[in-house]
Amino acid sequence: MAEIIITVDGVQITVPDTMNVVDAARLAATQIPVFCYHPRLPAVGMCRMCMVAIGMPRIDRDTRQPMLNEHGKPIIQMFPKLQPACTTRVADGMVVITNSEEVKFAQNGVLEFLLTSHPLDCPVCDKGGECPLQNLTMEWGPGNSRFDYSDKVHFEKPYKLGDLINLDRERCILCSRCVRFQDDLADDSVLGFDQRGRKWHIISKSDPPFDSKFSGNTTDICPVGALTTSDFRFRARAWELTSVPSLCNHCAVGCNTTLDMRHNQLQRVMPRDNAAVNDIWICDKGRFGHRFIEREHRLTTPLVRRDGQLQPATWDEALDVIATNLRAIQAAAGGAALAGLAGEHLANEDLFLFQRLFREVLGSNNLDTRTGVPGEYALDDVGYQYGVGVGTNLMDLGKGTAVLVFGADPEEEAPLYMLRLRQIVTQGGSLIVANPRPTKLDRSATQTLHYRPDSEREVLLALLKLVSAETKQIPQRTTGGAELKGTLEQTKLDAVAKLSGLEQAALAQAAQTILAAEHLLIVYGADVLVHGASLSALLANLLILRGKVGLANSGLIPLLARGNSRGALDMGVRPDKAAGYAPLKQAGLTAREMWPAALAGKLRGMYLMGSDPVASYAPARAALDALAFLVVQDTTLTATAQLADVVLPGTNVAEYDATYTNAERRVQRARLARKVYDASKPNWEIVQAVAQALQGELVLAGAASSTTVTRTVGGNGKSGDGVQGKLTLTTSTASPVAAQESWDYITVGEVAADIADLVPGYAGITHTALAQTAQTKEWGRQANEDYFYDGTSYTNAEGVGLQVPAGAELPKATFDLTPPPATKVPASSTYPFALLVQTLAYRNDPFLHDSLLQSHIPAGYIALNTADAAQLGIAAGAQVQLTSAAGSLRGTARVVPDLPAGCVLVPGGLVDLPVATIQTGALTRVAVSSVAE
Amino acid sequence: MALTEHVIMRELDVPNIADFNVYLQHDGYVAYRKALTEMKPNEIVQIVSDAGLRGRGGAGFPTGRKWSFLPRGVYPRYLLCNCDESEPGTFNNHQIIDLNPHQLIEGVALSAFAIEAEVAYIYCRGEFATAVNTLEHAIEQAYAAGFLGKNILGTGVNIDMYVHRGAGAYICGEETALMESLEGKIGQPRNKPPFPAVEGLYRKPTIINNVETLANVPPIVLKGVDWYRSYGTQQSPGTKVFSLSGHVNRPGNYELPFGVTLRELIYSPEYGGGMHGDRPVKIIIPGGASAPWLIDKHLDTPLDYESVAAAGSMLGSGAVMVMNDTVSAPHLAYKMDEFFKHESCGKCTPCREGTHWLVKVLHRFAEEGHGRAEDIPVLHSIYRQMQGNCFCLLGESAVMPIKSALALFPEEFEAYVARAASNGHDGQNGSAKGKPVIALQQR
Ligand SMILES: Cc1cc2nc3c(=O)[nH]c(=O)nc-3n(C[C@H](O)[C@H](O)[C@H](O)COP(=O)(O)O)c2cc1C
Ligand code: SF4
Ligand code: SF4
Ligand code: SF4
Ligand code: FES
Repeated sequence: MAEIIITVDGVQITVPDTMNVVDAARLAATQIPVFCYHPRLPAVGMCRMCMVAIGMPRIDRDTRQPMLNEHGKPIIQMFPKLQPACTTRVADGMVVITNSEEVKFAQNGVLEFLLTSHPLDCPVCDKGGECPLQNLTMEWGPGNSRFDYSDKVHFEKPYKLGDLINLDRERCILCSRCVRFQDDLADDSVLGFDQRGRKWHIISKSDPPFDSKFSGNTTDICPVGALTTSDFRFRARAWELTSVPSLCNHCAVGCNTTLDMRHNQLQRVMPRDNAAVNDIWICDKGRFGHRFIEREHRLTTPLVRRDGQLQPATWDEALDVIATNLRAIQAAAGGAALAGLAGEHLANEDLFLFQRLFREVLGSNNLDTRTGVPGEYALDDVGYQYGVGVGTNLMDLGKGTAVLVFGADPEEEAPLYMLRLRQIVTQGGSLIVANPRPTKLDRSATQTLHYRPDSEREVLLALLKLVSAETKQIPQRTTGGAELKGTLEQTKLDAVAKLSGLEQAALAQAAQTILAAEHLLIVYGADVLVHGASLSALLANLLILRGKVGLANSGLIPLLARGNSRGALDMGVRPDKAAGYAPLKQAGLTAREMWPAALAGKLRGMYLMGSDPVASYAPARAALDALAFLVVQDTTLTATAQLADVVLPGTNVAEYDATYTNAERRVQRARLARKVYDASKPNWEIVQAVAQALQGELVLAGAASSTTVTRTVGGNGKSGDGVQGKLTLTTSTASPVAAQESWDYITVGEVAADIADLVPGYAGITHTALAQTAQTKEWGRQANEDYFYDGTSYTNAEGVGLQVPAGAELPKATFDLTPPPATKVPASSTYPFALLVQTLAYRNDPFLHDSLLQSHIPAGYIALNTADAAQLGIAAGAQVQLTSAAGSLRGTARVVPDLPAGCVLVPGGLVDLPVATIQTGALTRVAVSSVAE
Repeated sequence: MALTEHVIMRELDVPNIADFNVYLQHDGYVAYRKALTEMKPNEIVQIVSDAGLRGRGGAGFPTGRKWSFLPRGVYPRYLLCNCDESEPGTFNNHQIIDLNPHQLIEGVALSAFAIEAEVAYIYCRGEFATAVNTLEHAIEQAYAAGFLGKNILGTGVNIDMYVHRGAGAYICGEETALMESLEGKIGQPRNKPPFPAVEGLYRKPTIINNVETLANVPPIVLKGVDWYRSYGTQQSPGTKVFSLSGHVNRPGNYELPFGVTLRELIYSPEYGGGMHGDRPVKIIIPGGASAPWLIDKHLDTPLDYESVAAAGSMLGSGAVMVMNDTVSAPHLAYKMDEFFKHESCGKCTPCREGTHWLVKVLHRFAEEGHGRAEDIPVLHSIYRQMQGNCFCLLGESAVMPIKSALALFPEEFEAYVARAASNGHDGQNGSAKGKPVIALQQR
């Protein structure tokens, strides 16, 4: 890329020679109007809105030098016709004229033409007020129309392109942005055109129609109101909306959004520009899956069980009951008899206080974010240790970058990664997709590796062997090299090839790609996360051997379950480590261990915050029933809450200001968008109220103390928001108790400041710091030119987040190469098949319950390879039974040719096929039989 | 100027040349055999260049030069034969296939060899059902005779040939739209550059030529450059099959050397045989609907690329349409632009909306009789808003009829306005106070 000089309307600027004239002119602060051009899409030059006059220096044929006029200036030869600025690349010495009469005539002309077919129904159009066609007409249009025929284009008006997206073909200006987005960015070529001339129109080519997880983005970049969402259609006018910066918590991407509110009600969710996270896109889950914010039957007041019934109560009463009961259990059986579960969608502030409550006030390490379902994700520390370095920006990556996607289906698990990884490939990077089964990302891959289920460990060892053979020097501060060497010596490539079904040459090719990479990213998902460090540590070893740890644009990206899964791990809502991964002397119970402990009477009381184990894991019910005391804090009366003694009305992401940490450890802030329902409170406030009530109880009870800790808080002055004070607190257990803190936070910012002070890595991440951006543009509705260049995604001027350094970036970090022991579940003749559970984007997720996506949740199925199905005599559509050591399950068979032999694939999280009921652990072995009709 | 020996319309010299055996007995596949066994591909490119063969599809681009644009060493390459023949007034490609199909097949095969393409497609206009049958039969015979397929004539050369039938869209004759269509996509032009020679069908180097262009190749290779250059002019060598239509006594295809005058073509008893009823020539469209109009004073213009351009029009596809004085210029413009409107692919705004609006206004003039004085500047404005701003040449071509009509016959538009006014029309649709004026000139 070379820098060249061009002149735009007399202004000379230096621009990269890869730019087109539209983008280059913007650098000279000159707007060239566009409709079909979009900076993220390949230019097509269709709408002819961007016609400008272009000239080039006349070149002397003999000297190959520009010819000069009598003043010594280059003679400029203008092209005989106007040129489309969007498809014309800049060249050295180019002269662009955008304001001549000729250009204005052409621009007026195109707008006048466009409006001859356009219905001009702005008063009833959802795009009105934020419509590039309106804006361009005002700025570049002729002012009136000489088209005096009542002959607009006519089509049936509301036309469902898919159930989420409506197409108004009358308004469509045929720019093909939507088609190109689907083809080039989303890789779902589901839209196309039909007919020609003025009848030319957009159609959906897929069945079901407009079948794409990214469909909503087309409504943002559509330069007119032709594409509107079923979710927002006719809800509000754009100018009535108050836009509040928020985040999507559905998955670990953590897309930046705005919640567009009117009268305290959510009208729509829109993407908010963040180059390092979601660019200007969000997936349909983010856009349509936020109706839970105003779900029906919200809890509006605390409930206390009286006479066996949950009845409304005051906060004082509820807190009193909680304090009395928790303290009583603690006094009688110690903190170890208490446990807490919290949801991974909750904010850092909620989770930080929750673990403080348990560790400091109640003296318990029995904490988890999971619910004990067999086959759930292990706690992912490797992703923190070797995660991508601070400064990572996927948008910048291309040539020189290698991405290894291992055991992951990004489109389903974290949809936006699909777009981001594809972009790396488009920009020249390599993408290896390694999975037991085909995924959509395979189509974008530069290499795919389909290994047999349960050969992951061997495949990774083989890659490590090939990579280590080329590694001259093991990086400093590394331990475990000898152990790794030993394991790799025992790894035989031919044996791995045989076991995994991969060609040795394919493994070698993958290793070469890894070895050649300047930036090495490894993305892993569900298939690795269920196994935890036994696989992820091997992925980390690839990075260590390549010396790609603690560096920007290299590292691990785990596709964790939810928007704040990383935050929950960082905050220490887990039994084995305190906040910031600090080791504990004695670990508490995991969720899986809690249920037997409750049944055995060892666990007597629980406090669940945003956690609904009864819904995800039926056996939890009996255990919860066995408890002496149960508190549930949530936004609705969940199945679990119905069992509680006290129910506390909590809040969701829209109802309080707080921070969340995404898969790349970027801490981002969502703002308060709507008033809370009646008596409900921000989650962190409730936790604090419980702590305060417990402290009051302590004073009242004048409890006999075994330990007394005194500590000054907020003393290091890093976070100006910290509270100075002294607190003496007494606990009655001998379990490891972290330093004590006061419980008198007034604002959520003070909690964040404490996190910044106390959680390693979070230093400096205060709410004030998070609000800063490099951009100076005022945040809010766009009234600037980005509007027609980028669509209606929002400019981000309220903070693009700050990254927490990976463990490997800490000054004295050491890197351990020791391969973790294998955890194998061998196949047996009783259970010969490996059960692959697929994480789906659209599943029975309570957060999606009130959304339009509900109808996109597929019916359950059991997929088998063609040969296996034939051998078992199972036809597609037949009923089959899966039997594992844990139970059996019936479902409808699907026969899939490209599934590997010896496994069955079942979508997880569906009500009609609760596969969790037969899972036994990270890998479940099953028998498959056909069910006689 | 009559030819004693034809280059293309050899059916006039050799009865029944459409028969494969007759074709073989009359030099059929001799050039091809010679090329494959004795010549290198680039020698053929050189011969075609030296002969000065120019593309008959419309632009008259030198064929040998086009072939030389192929990037070196990039394969596979494709050869496309453009038989979309949808330009109004053009009907020679179809006749070549009907009456002399094997010469075309030989030409396509020989050209494929010349550009080192192993696959050639003949893209036929959707309506050409019989032509497609004829071609498929001829191709079968060529395969059977060992002229197509693998290891042809033992030379190691492979050439496969397919006929593809379009769905009946004029725009699919545009080279890049044709490629889109052939790839199974909606037929719309692509951005250029990249040009087809660099990135064409399936993004591979591709040469596309018209039927008549390719049918010229075997005789050139067989009989040589000098022979070929003995016909036509220095810059437009060879012969051209002119499709003559309109108010002439003998419409039809006439193969004549480039340089024959319009007058000879129209008035010679062997060709046009003069005007119907001896009425005067009013409008001549010398190169298909896309060509600017000429008038009677241009009758002595020689029909070669340079002379027609100098007269202000273009030779285009060589479809000469001649209109006598019963034709109303606004009405002719209306009919012509109606065609372009109907065929506009819709991809770009000026053509999609401009043709629609043009036709609306012209309809108001020519069919409804409501033309208004203020419509005349609007017509000027519409074509100017289109001119130079369209994505492809279809939109640019649509400018020609209305621009020509307004430039050559402004008084006819004014007359429509005057007549409408005298009939009490206010120009509004459906609110005419009298009956629409339909009869225009006396017939
Ligand atoms: C709208 C449009 C329609 C065309 N239709 C035809 C056609 O039917 N046949 C044809 O040979 N060329 C047609 N052309 C020209 C082709 O694009 C192309 O120039 C030609 O096939 C090249 O062949 P040649 O070099 O042998 O002339 C058309 C061009 C345009 C813009
Ligand atoms: S629907 Fe919108 S984005 Fe798609 S082609 Fe029409 S105007 Fe463009
Ligand atoms: S990719 Fe993930 S974070 Fe982004 S919008 Fe979709 S579900 Fe939400
Ligand atoms: S000028 Fe534009 S609308 Fe017309 S045929 Fe060409 S691309 Fe299509
Ligand atoms: S043609 Fe350039 S923006 Fe549409």
